[in-house]
Amino acid sequence: MIYSDRLNLVSEKLSATSVKKYNNPYTTIEWPEQLDDKALCFSKDMISISRTPLFQDLTEEQVLKLALYEAVNFFSLNISGERELIAGLSKRLYKNYSPEMTEYIHHFLDEENKHMVWFGTFSEKYAGKVYQDKKIVFPRSYEEGEEDFLFFTKIVIFEEIVDRYNYLMAGDESLDPLVRQIHHQHHVDESRHLAFGREIVCHLYKEFSPRWSEETRDGISDYIKNYMVSTWKEYFNPDVYVDAGITDEAYELRELAWNSMSGFRKEISHKCVEFFQKKEFIKGEPEL
Amino acid sequence: MSRESELKEKLKEWIIKNSRSEKVNEINNATKILEEKIVTSLQIMELIVYLEQLTGRPVNPDQLKPGAFSSIEHIYDVFYEGK
Repeated sequence: MIYSDRLNLVSEKLSATSVKKYNNPYTTIEWPEQLDDKALCFSKDMISISRTPLFQDLTEEQVLKLALYEAVNFFSLNISGERELIAGLSKRLYKNYSPEMTEYIHHFLDEENKHMVWFGTFSEKYAGKVYQDKKIVFPRSYEEGEEDFLFFTKIVIFEEIVDRYNYLMAGDESLDPLVRQIHHQHHVDESRHLAFGREIVCHLYKEFSPRWSEETRDGISDYIKNYMVSTWKEYFNPDVYVDAGITDEAYELRELAWNSMSGFRKEISHKCVEFFQKKEFIKGEPEL
Repeated sequence: MSRESELKEKLKEWIIKNSRSEKVNEINNATKILEEKIVTSLQIMELIVYLEQLTGRPVNPDQLKPGAFSSIEHIYDVFYEGK
């Protein structure tokens, strides 16, 4: 069984907070018929093409439309990330984890499902769509503990980036109040999920990595770094540029946007990369 | 160069540009690119985006058959010939 006194204690505390902050996703947020047509749905300087020359030439109306689709892309990639997360967490219920951790996994699942309700409702109601993800997972073999370690590490990577976006956009007064509220609510729950994720990856690495071969540890380091890059790639969706009607050369624009936002990605991922390096999960830097 | 050869060449160029494998310069159209770890599962998402750009058609990963990305030959058959 996977457990430690510390993990059990953290799980108990997080479960108690989840009970205290329990919310009904259908009443927490009120959905206006229409969004404020003068307010942005995505922070201007976080729009994926905001550092390309094309962005400077857009009209205010075009920026508002682009910001809506960037928000839908952000919520869509959250839906696909949380879908994978829910599947992985469900698979682990009442399996190898302590009762204290299992109890928290129930809260984790409940909260992720609620987030998906908000993201899906926003995207369908105001843009009429949810972008589909392009990820494919191929079956492979793992050393003992490696699959669980990578599963929770991927959660940490995904949620660290998302939570920085949530925190920054919840505080951006130029955004539609509904968008800010979704980010705020998400951030409140996400901070608990991150605390759990960080604890569990440290425990799993300490427990299993001494038994892993050097080749496995190197493979894990490469995988984590590449996963960070591929997670970021989803923030640059050519379909967004087409839907916003700003270009006929969406793929070329995506490449320009990706190259222009390297500094931003490094800044947002800085804490996460530093954490992985300090814990020796990765060697070197991801190519952000 | 025929359209088929041109597209296969473009796919090969993409793989050479994006692969981190030392074996990448030895690939041909029949090389098992996933089995040989020349392309990783994490790179497939980007390959799909590139295929959408080349074909001008959206790709739904849920509808793909296993092995769709096994080689350049196979990618061409699945995404251009609809086999």
